[in-house]
Amino acid sequence: MTASAATAVASRPQADRPPLVRLRGLTKSYGSMVAVKPLDLDIQSGDFYALLGPSGCGKTTLLRMIGGFTEPTAGTVEIDGVDVTRMGPERRPTNMVFQGYGLFPHMTVRQNIAYGLKLAKLPAAEVETRVKEIIGLVRLEQLAERRPDGLSGGQAQRVALARALVMRPRVLLLDEPLAALDLQLRKAMQEELRRIHRSIGGTFVFVTHDQGEAMALANRIAVMDAGACVQEGGPEEIYGAPRTRFISTFIGEANVLPGRRQGGRVTLEAGGSFADAGADEAVVVVVRPEAMALGGNLPQGAVKLTGRLADSVFLGPYVRYRVELPGGGEIILHSQDFALRHRLAVDDTVEVGWTTDVQRVLADR
Amino acid sequence: MPRNPVVLTLFALPATLIFLLFFLGPFIYFVVMSFWSVSLFRLSRDFTLVNYLDVYREYGYSVAFTFAIALLIAVIATLLAFGFAYLIRFRAGRLGPTLLFVTLITMFGGYLVKIYAWRTILGTTGILNTGLIELGIIDEPVSWLLYNPGAVVATLTHFLLPFAVLPLYGSLRGISDAQLAAARDLGARPLRMLIDIVLPQCQPGILVAFMLTFFIAAGDYVTPRLVGGTATAMAGNFVENQFITALNAPQSSALAVAILAVSAGTVLLLRAVMRRTLAVR
Repeated sequence: MTASAATAVASRPQADRPPLVRLRGLTKSYGSMVAVKPLDLDIQSGDFYALLGPSGCGKTTLLRMIGGFTEPTAGTVEIDGVDVTRMGPERRPTNMVFQGYGLFPHMTVRQNIAYGLKLAKLPAAEVETRVKEIIGLVRLEQLAERRPDGLSGGQAQRVALARALVMRPRVLLLDEPLAALDLQLRKAMQEELRRIHRSIGGTFVFVTHDQGEAMALANRIAVMDAGACVQEGGPEEIYGAPRTRFISTFIGEANVLPGRRQGGRVTLEAGGSFADAGADEAVVVVVRPEAMALGGNLPQGAVKLTGRLADSVFLGPYVRYRVELPGGGEIILHSQDFALRHRLAVDDTVEVGWTTDVQRVLADR
Repeated sequence: MPRNPVVLTLFALPATLIFLLFFLGPFIYFVVMSFWSVSLFRLSRDFTLVNYLDVYREYGYSVAFTFAIALLIAVIATLLAFGFAYLIRFRAGRLGPTLLFVTLITMFGGYLVKIYAWRTILGTTGILNTGLIELGIIDEPVSWLLYNPGAVVATLTHFLLPFAVLPLYGSLRGISDAQLAAARDLGARPLRMLIDIVLPQCQPGILVAFMLTFFIAAGDYVTPRLVGGTATAMAGNFVENQFITALNAPQSSALAVAILAVSAGTVLLLRAVMRRTLAVR
């Protein structure tokens, strides 16, 4: 089985409507250095959208181009059907939560949040109601009269969020929103962000280098590498059907086994072979650790490899095995068969395998 | 840290002694001195207000003139320095540190050197006059460029600029790029951003810059003598005169206390005005 039909494509009910954010041929280069290669992207209204990639992949530049902080070298940004490419951030229907937050230290939490509304010259009564409402939404009632230097990281993060949300942006942009927080707080804030997104039903676009965070928050993910969007889709689709070797290892853990396809049959360097239609070329076979089976659990018709059990670790929900292959490669395997662990010892020769419906065969470029 | 109060007192002693001996002591002595008098070159230690009366009667104009000229210098220097510090912090990019370094260097570049440089620029055979003659704008050198209050303002502003740049740069450095980006994102145009975000956070820097330039300008007596001409007698010149030539320390002390009081009052007023106008609404 090949790339075409692995997992169900994530459902997108509004896909027939015109996108809220439409990027066409958007490019940014600094001299000869290309930060973002010509890129097309559609973001639907209501999406919680992740721009995911390693540092330096151009994701922040892309976000800043959507917000109007960085002028593109070429291409267009359209929001709600309006071409905003030449507009500054103050004129776009977007608001941003900055990395490092950029809270105004000489203003209280309430003044920080009200600042944009006051600039817009809204009547005082409306400013007050909207600020109060948003302070309730992000649960900052107790801290409204404090100044930013008296806040913890998570609280400062919520003020920054409230200050942007109170403007009721068509698109909320978040630049590495949780990067500055410790793990515990990050998990709590993820839940908080999901709750806020649900309760206001807006469109959020965020940048992250953390695939776990992208999975936890987003309903759509654009994976970026070296200034290009290499795959775009729902989290299940990207995890289940990665289009390149880079994506398969960047998103989650994966075993990547090199081999060659010749006359409709793939032969792996580590041994084992299976029928697979396609051109004669070098390929890699990608299998997730949880899709692998070990020892007596091998299903019928599985592709099989033999190796030496190098390690087994009990991790609570599953056991993690590491099997070294004779050619120098290794296989990581997650199994929930806890009884099996007592029948196997390190240094045993074991068989590992998988059925072809859980694998992905990708051209090795 | 030791908790023993005796040990703590001992630790604080050297700093306290230095402060008392070199700062507070002389200052009190000089204020007390201003209420004494001199008769027949002998100090008379009886309390009198005659020195202050003389300040008012004889030097009133000079104190007012000094105040005006120092205010002008401090305002110009602080404004120019703010622009320059803003440039270094937000616009100069990688050139910023170099510009800051150059500023620092000129601060050590000698006070007299700058005065003589301005004499060379403004004098009758100076660069400005020769240049204007070469260009055919004037036929013969003009003499009014030098030896007037304007020359004092130019020279002292030039000299004091780096003193104002450093504290302003210091306070601008505390303002992150994200703050400015956020303000812009929320709809602030450049002028609003300056008034709402930058200036309020710069208040300590502005105050220190203004204070340094104002106090140094108000107390200076070398520049007016060398480039100010006979009409520009600043209070500092009279303090020097009374102290060194007339040997009347009480009179010069009273004059100095008067200048100090006016200067301190000005700075406090500036602080109050800034707090009021830049308060978050």
